[in-house]
Amino acid sequence: MDEPRISGNTIVIPSDMVYLATVDEFISARLTKAGITNSTIADLAISVSEAVTNAIIHGNRNDVAKKVTVRIELNQTRVRIFVKDQGHGFDPDVIPNPTDKENLLKRVGRGIFIVRSLVDSVEFSFSDQGTELILKKNLARE
Amino acid sequence: MKLTQREVAEVVVLEPKGKIMGGPDATLLHDRLHELINQNRKKVVIDLAKVEWMNSTGLGILISGLTTMRNNGGELKLARVTEKIESLLTITKLITVFENYDSVEAAVESFK
Repeated sequence: MDEPRISGNTIVIPSDMVYLATVDEFISARLTKAGITNSTIADLAISVSEAVTNAIIHGNRNDVAKKVTVRIELNQTRVRIFVKDQGHGFDPDVIPNPTDKENLLKRVGRGIFIVRSLVDSVEFSFSDQGTELILKKNLARE
Repeated sequence: MKLTQREVAEVVVLEPKGKIMGGPDATLLHDRLHELINQNRKKVVIDLAKVEWMNSTGLGILISGLTTMRNNGGELKLARVTEKIESLLTITKLITVFENYDSVEAAVESFK
């Protein structure tokens, strides 16, 4: 199995949950260096962990030969993080509401709901090459 | 994530530390909760003061622990929930499911 590869503001990992912490270290280091508040870093780190988890499990179906690519794009006013898998996509509009009474005690199904609550916008891009989530958050600096 | 355990008056207090995000680390907490059930230890407090944040995987572990404890006549309670995690519990409405205390002592006392 390949190891994670970092190039500038991009990290590429094999589809193995063991690398979730590696992505978190990468994201947190880049955002800390950029002077972003701890609370905003946590919101983005949680969101990225959700997106990468979905990419590994649902997108790439835990196939370690398939990769997940995470890229950060920063400027003075906002951060965008791109999380791309090599899977066949899903319909984000048919995800059940995890706060409905019948779903409240389910162990899974909160990931995208949490992401939508923590960042300012979530875009989904589907192609033959895979699915890309684009997370955008406006910045408040310390 | 690191996990330590102590006991206060027959109540097991679990103290995870770090981030709970899935992967091998998160199974520590899940496995420990299920080991406690197998050992018939059914009064459990999770002290979250040293957990920086958790994601939906972490929330799922808490829910799984809670429902398994309750199904076996036990209870899992939370103590010292940080602001970030309380926000997630509120967003997901799980704040209505868990008993949540400001101190470990208060959580332990609530079992009496």
